Amino acid sequence: MNVSKYFLCGVAVAALVLGSRLESAAQNVNYDEILHSASHPENWITYGGNYAAQRFSELKQINKTNVNQLKLRWVYQLRRTGIFESSPIVVDGMMYVTEPPTTVTALDVRTGRPVWRWTADLPKDLLTIGLFPTNRGVAILGDTVYVATIDAHLVALDAKTGNMRWNVEIGDNKQAVAITQASMAINGKIVVGMGGGEGGLRGYIDAYDAKDGKRLWRLYTIPTTGEPGVETWGGDSYKYGGATTWNTGAYDPELNTLYWGTGNPAPDWNGDARKGDNLYSCSLLAIDADTGKMKWYFQFSPHETHDWDASEPPILFDATINGKKRKIVAQANRNAFYYVLDRETGEFITGKAYAKQTWAKGLDAKGRPIQMPNIEPTTQGNLIYPSITGSVNWTSSSYSPLTGFFYVDTREQGAYYYKGRPTIQPHNPNDTGGGGGQKLVNGDAAYTAVRALEATTGDRKWEFRMVGDSWTGTLATAGGLVFCADSQGNFFALDDETGKPLWNIQLGNSARANPITYAVDGKQYVVGEAGNAVSVFSLP
Amino acid sequence: MAAIISAAGLAFVAPPALPQGQPVTPPHAAHPKATPESIAAGKDIFAGTCAVCHGIDGSGGNGPNIRGAGAAMGPEGVYGRIRGGIIGTGMPAFTSLDDATVWKLVDYAMTLGHEDAGVATGDSKKGKEIYDASKCGTCHAVGAEGGNLGPDLSHIGVQRSIVTLTKTLNDPGNSLPLDAGLQERATFTAYVVYRAVTKDGKVIEGTRVNEDSFTIQLRDANGNLHSIQKFEMKSIDPEPGKSFMPSYKDKLTAAQINDLVAYLSSLGEAQ
Repeated sequence: MNVSKYFLCGVAVAALVLGSRLESAAQNVNYDEILHSASHPENWITYGGNYAAQRFSELKQINKTNVNQLKLRWVYQLRRTGIFESSPIVVDGMMYVTEPPTTVTALDVRTGRPVWRWTADLPKDLLTIGLFPTNRGVAILGDTVYVATIDAHLVALDAKTGNMRWNVEIGDNKQAVAITQASMAINGKIVVGMGGGEGGLRGYIDAYDAKDGKRLWRLYTIPTTGEPGVETWGGDSYKYGGATTWNTGAYDPELNTLYWGTGNPAPDWNGDARKGDNLYSCSLLAIDADTGKMKWYFQFSPHETHDWDASEPPILFDATINGKKRKIVAQANRNAFYYVLDRETGEFITGKAYAKQTWAKGLDAKGRPIQMPNIEPTTQGNLIYPSITGSVNWTSSSYSPLTGFFYVDTREQGAYYYKGRPTIQPHNPNDTGGGGGQKLVNGDAAYTAVRALEATTGDRKWEFRMVGDSWTGTLATAGGLVFCADSQGNFFALDDETGKPLWNIQLGNSARANPITYAVDGKQYVVGEAGNAVSVFSLP
Repeated sequence: MAAIISAAGLAFVAPPALPQGQPVTPPHAAHPKATPESIAAGKDIFAGTCAVCHGIDGSGGNGPNIRGAGAAMGPEGVYGRIRGGIIGTGMPAFTSLDDATVWKLVDYAMTLGHEDAGVATGDSKKGKEIYDASKCGTCHAVGAEGGNLGPDLSHIGVQRSIVTLTKTLNDPGNSLPLDAGLQERATFTAYVVYRAVTKDGKVIEGTRVNEDSFTIQLRDANGNLHSIQKFEMKSIDPEPGKSFMPSYKDKLTAAQINDLVAYLSSLGEAQ
C-alpha cells in the first residue's frame, strides 16, 4: 500500500501538535487548515475528521499500552433530549455539539461547561416522514458554524457567540424535506444534502455561499423529462422517487470532487410503478464542487426494494493495487457489499460481501450485482439478508493509513420483507410512503461486530462481536486503536491490528453517535456519547 | 472467546427515545367497537403509515417494537400516542387523520402482540387460590404486588391465549416470552437461563438480566445477582428449553391448571 502525501502528511508532524493553543480565544478555521487537518489533529475539524472522511486521528498519546488507564474527565448532559446522534466538531478549545432536534451547543472542551446555545425555531407542524428528528453535527469555516435544521434550513452562527448571521431555506418542510446531516464546508462553500425520501420527493444536493447563504448550485439526483436516465423510471415515478442525499459525504480537494451517496428509490418495498434501474438512487455521485455537475455515478443497488440506501459515508484513500497507484473511494454499503472504486473515473476495482447477504450471487466485472431470483418483497413476507437497517447504516466507518484497514460496525440480521401498494402519496404526513414493510428476524441469533477489512480488497482481517445493535461507527487513531460502542452502552477500544479489546466502560444507555478524539493543553481526549450525554476521557 | 460472545443473544437497553412528556389528547369521538373489518382496515392504514418505523407487524424496524403496547396502554392510550406523538422522539403527532381512521389504527394496534384468548373453562376464583397456594407471586407481579424474577402478569390475559398459558404452565422452558419493549429493533427471547463457567470450573446459572459486549448480569433461582465479566469466564452459554419456573404438569391436576389459566386469562384490560 502506498498512501499519498496528502492523506499521510500529518504523521510526521503528529508529535508536534499535542500542545494546545492556550486560551480558547479564536474559533477561526480557514480552508487551508481544513485541507491540512492531519497537521492539526488537536482539532476535529470536519464531520468525518478530514475531507477524506477517514475518521482517523494522528493523535497517539492514548495508545495500545496505556488505553486501559483512561479516566472520565467530564460529562455534559443534553438540555434537549431525544435521539442523540451528533458527531462533535472541536476547534481551538471549543466543542460544537448538536442536540435534538436542532440545537447547537458550544462547550468548553476543558470542562464540558456550555458557553452558548442556539435553538432553531421549528414549525409546530414539522414534517419528518420516515426519519427521526435529530441532528448529526455542524460544519465550521472561518469564524462561522453552519447547521442544517430539521425543517430544512441552513443557518450560519457566529462561532464565538452563537448569534445567527443568516438563515436560508434549503427545501420546503411542508413538502417533507427534512435534514439531519452535518453539512460540509469547502473553499467558500457549504455543501448540504437533504432527506425525506419517503415523503414523495425528488432528491438533490446543494452548495451555498459561505458568506451569505446564496445558493450556488443544485444537483438533482433523479433526471427529469428529457434528461438521460429518466427512462429508468416508470410513468411519473421519477417525480416522487426519493434518492435523497441525507448523509454527509467526502471531498477530494485535488480533484475538486465531492463524493455523496444517495438514498433508496420510493416507495421502498414496492417497485412496480418504477420499473428500471431508478437512476441515480442507491448510488455514489462524484460531483464537481464548482459547478455541481455530476462527473460520474456508480449505482450499487439498481431498482432497490429493501431500503438499502447508499448513504453510508464514503472514505477516500490512495493505494497501489496490482502495481498501479490508484485514488480510491471505498464504501461498506448497506446492501452488505464492500466496494473499492477509482475516484477519478468511477471504475469498479473490486468488491465483495462483508456481511451475510442472500440477495446477490456476487458482483459482475463492472460491480453490478448479479441478483438471485425471488428477492423482491411479497405480500406473505420474503426472508432476505440483510435487514432494512442494512449491514451498516448511517454511521461512519473509519480507515487507518497505518494498518490499511477499513473498520466497519457490521450488523448481521435478516428480515421478512412485505410488499404493499405501489404508489406514493406525495408529502402526506399520514403516509410514510414505504409501499410495504419488514419484520426483523428474531434477535436471538442476530449480532453486530466491528470488522476490519483490508481496504484494497475487502478481505476480513478480524472481527470483534458485540451484543445488541450498533449505531456509533468507528474511530481509528495513530495510537493503534479503534474506538466503537454498542447499543447496550459499552464504549470500548480495540487493537487496530488484531481486534483485541483493550478498554471499555459502560455509559449507561444506548450509544448512537460516532466517537471522536481531540487534544488540548497537551492532553488527548476521546469522546463517547450515549443516551443523552457526552462523556470525555483522557489518561490520568 | 468469539464463541462465548457469539453465544450471547441480543439484549436489554431501553431505546433512547423515551417520552419526554405526554401531550394532552384532544377531545375525540368515542371508540367504536372493534370489528374484523375495522381491524383489517387498520392493518392497511398501518402498513402505509406506521410500518416504515414499527415494522409491518409492529415488531420494530426503524422505530421501536410496539407489540404488546396496546395491552399495557389500552385503546385510549394508543389513541393518545397516535394523536399526540411522543415529544422528543421520532413519533410524530398524526394530527390530520380523522377519528374514524385513528380508531381503526387503534383496533389493529391492539391486536399486535395479542393472542386470541379463547374461552377459559376453569374457575378463575379457584385459580386465584391455586395462584396464591403455589406462591406464583414470589416470582410474578400482578399490579404492584409480587416478585420480578419472572414476567409481570398484570396484562397476561390479553397478551396470551388459553392455549399458550396452558402450554407455559406445563412446559415453561419451551414457552419463553418474546420481549416486546426492551430491545430497540427486534424481538428476542426473554428469561433465557444461562450457564456460566469460571476458569476454575465454578458454575453459575441464572436468567439474563442485562448483557452488553463485555458483561452479563445473571440472577439465579434465588434472585441473587451474579455480575460477570465475560472475558474472564471459561464459557457462557444459553440453555434452551430451561426455565426457573417449574413445570406444573405433575404438580397440579389438569382441572387445577384450567382453573389457574382461567384466573390468568382474567388479568388485564379486555379489548
